[in-house]
Amino acid sequence: MSGASLLRLEGVSKTYRGGTRPAVDNLSLEVRAGEIFGFLGPNGAGKTTTIKMVVGLLRADRGTILVNGHDVARDPVAAKADIGYVPDNPDLYERLTGIEYLNLVADIFGVSREERRRRIGELLEMFELESAVADIIQSYSHGMKQKLALTGALLHDPRVFILDEPMVGLDPRASRLFKDMMRSHCDKGHTVFFSTHVLEVAERLCDRVGIINMGRLIACGSVEELRERRKQTDETLEDIFLELTEAGEAK
Amino acid sequence: MARRVLSLILAQLNMNFAISHSRYYYLKKRQRLWEPVLIVLGVGGAAASLAVGIYTAASYYYSTAAAIGQEAVTLTLGILLSQVLVMILGFVLVIAVFYFSNDLAILIPLPLRPAEVLAGKFAVILASEYVGLVVFVLPVIIAYGVRADVSAVPYVLSSILVFLALPVVPLVLAAIPAILLMRVAGLSRRKDTLAMIGGFLFIGVIVVFQFFVQTKAPGVGEEAEFLAKMLATANSLVYIVGARLPPSIWATKALALAGTWQGLWNLGIFLVAGVLGFVVLLVIGDRVFYQGVLSGFEAGARKGAARRAGKAKAAGYVSRSPIASLAIIEMKLFTRTPVFVLNGFTGFVMFPVMFVAMFLMRGNPEMARLWDVLLAVPAFDAIGALVIAAYFFVLAAMSSIPFTAFSREGRRNIWIPRSFPASAKTIALGKAVGAEIMVALGAIPGIAVLGYVARLPLASVAVGVVFGVMSSFVLNLCGVLFDMWRPMLNWTDQQKAVKSNLNVVVGMLMGVAVLAVLGLAVNFLINLGLPAWGVVAGVGGVLAALLAALVALLGAVADRLWSGLEA
Ligand SMILES: Nc1ncnc2c1ncn2[C@@H]1O[C@H](COP(=O)(O)OP(=O)(O)O)[C@@H](O)[C@H]1O
Ligand SMILES: [Mg+2]
Repeated sequence: MSGASLLRLEGVSKTYRGGTRPAVDNLSLEVRAGEIFGFLGPNGAGKTTTIKMVVGLLRADRGTILVNGHDVARDPVAAKADIGYVPDNPDLYERLTGIEYLNLVADIFGVSREERRRRIGELLEMFELESAVADIIQSYSHGMKQKLALTGALLHDPRVFILDEPMVGLDPRASRLFKDMMRSHCDKGHTVFFSTHVLEVAERLCDRVGIINMGRLIACGSVEELRERRKQTDETLEDIFLELTEAGEAK
Repeated sequence: MARRVLSLILAQLNMNFAISHSRYYYLKKRQRLWEPVLIVLGVGGAAASLAVGIYTAASYYYSTAAAIGQEAVTLTLGILLSQVLVMILGFVLVIAVFYFSNDLAILIPLPLRPAEVLAGKFAVILASEYVGLVVFVLPVIIAYGVRADVSAVPYVLSSILVFLALPVVPLVLAAIPAILLMRVAGLSRRKDTLAMIGGFLFIGVIVVFQFFVQTKAPGVGEEAEFLAKMLATANSLVYIVGARLPPSIWATKALALAGTWQGLWNLGIFLVAGVLGFVVLLVIGDRVFYQGVLSGFEAGARKGAARRAGKAKAAGYVSRSPIASLAIIEMKLFTRTPVFVLNGFTGFVMFPVMFVAMFLMRGNPEMARLWDVLLAVPAFDAIGALVIAAYFFVLAAMSSIPFTAFSREGRRNIWIPRSFPASAKTIALGKAVGAEIMVALGAIPGIAVLGYVARLPLASVAVGVVFGVMSSFVLNLCGVLFDMWRPMLNWTDQQKAVKSNLNVVVGMLMGVAVLAVLGLAVNFLINLGLPAWGVVAGVGGVLAALLAALVALLGAVADRLWSGLEA
């Protein structure tokens, strides 16, 4: 892996207002073009907080975040233009129709008319949303909302595709599609960064993973690297995860 | 059952007034302490001065009414006006709280009867009404008690009971049509539209009713002959009113005759009326309440889906500039949310209704005189242009649309605009333009009536419209900018986002400030000896300068506010 650096965090920290300990503590990591990066950690580890800082929903107290070279704090608009983001809970505008939502997103991301016709058509077909797209979003199932959010996030073919717990709520078929899609997205030289605690998926899919616990990055690398580092070649990612996060807990 | 309902009610009140929420943030975490301080000082100060004003007015009214031995009318009028207010606000509040609360999907699966949930929600509304009544009706009751020869203990006791029962009957009278409306609307596919139309009809009817009652009873502080006439008709007023809302008579007698058997008897009837009304509401509600709520859970969008899917393919991919796109979405999201529309568009409907009513009553001698005076004003056409401009401004200020531009997104949706790669200026402008279009369209009926009735020349109307758009856009920009700084995202029902939002109050204050600037400008220009149209042109200049300044301000601070927003 030696692609350009598409996402880089350097010494990023965040303490919520009134919080006693940092939710994210001096976090540094880098994701390169062509990589799928899995961001793992137990509940409350700081995954969502990190992602929200990257997409501009939270401001980091310290550190810098670069998206395709754009500093999120200094040039948020350019950074956001390179991001496709799907939050953990796909709350969309319930009172818009699917197509109205997609058109809004396309307008804001400046997707040309021909491009949007092609991509929306493609994505809707893939997710089997074509027949629902004229309906109001309120009438969608959780999975449909998620698929619509995914479609919206992919419309502009983002360099950096960021997903918070994306597997929750997708049916097996959609989940398979989605994994293939992440792969092909990376093959175009883009990057995918997603948080999860479904370790099997991460193990199979990710080029590299980072494990975060109590706000700190406690391990980072490919699954093989992590195994080698621990000199226990038969360990699954789950074993590594549990041991590392328990060690963190005990401290 | 009683325990269950009580704990439900307590939880509802806790959420409504954000009690645990405030305790957590202000007491436990000791953060943003300036917020409660600001709220207490700002809102408390405003409420206190309003209450003192009402006390003074009531006291003055008492003196004049006492001259002919009709002092009890003070109470009747105070009680009646507050009940009408409760009814108008209550209707929208019932729709918002009963049908569009965030927690309905949690409450309905609980093993509770519909009537129990309804009682919990009713308590929430009642509690909110009490807060308002402390300001509006308590000063009247106190003023009467201080001035009149009442025996203290019975008066205080009756006051407490009357105060507590006061909003119940009007609220029941608003709630029953509201839940029936929502039930009927739920049967239709266009239930949101139906709910909005029904809501405006209700408000319109109450406004017209109130208007006719009021023109028979001119307010305090009018000319002496008006006052004499009012006092002469005081009794008839009591009976006109009494025939329609007898509870206000019972409440009046319960207070004025406190300590006598007759007072006690009236107090009894008043309380029984409240209890009976509530029971009727519960009985009706137990049958129809859930049906309305449940039909709200089904998005009524399946209609013509296939047909429209084809259309979406053919015509759906229109590309627009970000600002236009944001403005259109702002309008769609607003107009498709009945609670927002019922709150925001009330002025759009209420003023034209009032104008028409005034016009229809031009045969009435007082009204005719008012019209004569108006039409005889020198330079009426120039002033008319300013009046039309002011109409836009008032509509924008009352609509609460710009001041809630971001608050309305709520915790759930604010991530959407925030993840857009658009400058904060673009996003703010999109919202402001969306608000402006809604206000401008909403102003059309009122302006058509005004222009026709006052026989304004077309040029005046045209100038008025241009200035109106400018002046309301000034306010829209101020409001959007402020709401970008401190949006209220943590609401429990949509009503709170647009009504219990401090930003709306701040917005009105900004409106007053802008009006003050314009007033000073007009005064200055008149003193310069400019002709009327010169003054109008000067106002245009001031508006243009304000707009330029605001756009510059937007460029300077919006990005900082936008990225500082943590949600
Ligand atoms: N809005 C918030 N306000 C205060 N603390 C928060 C907020 N959101 C998350 N936290 C805290 O930050 C920590 C990390 O949370 P989060 O990033 O959501 O974890 P994850 O996504 O890994 O499960 C937790 O301890 C949580 O309590
Ligand atoms: Mg999370």
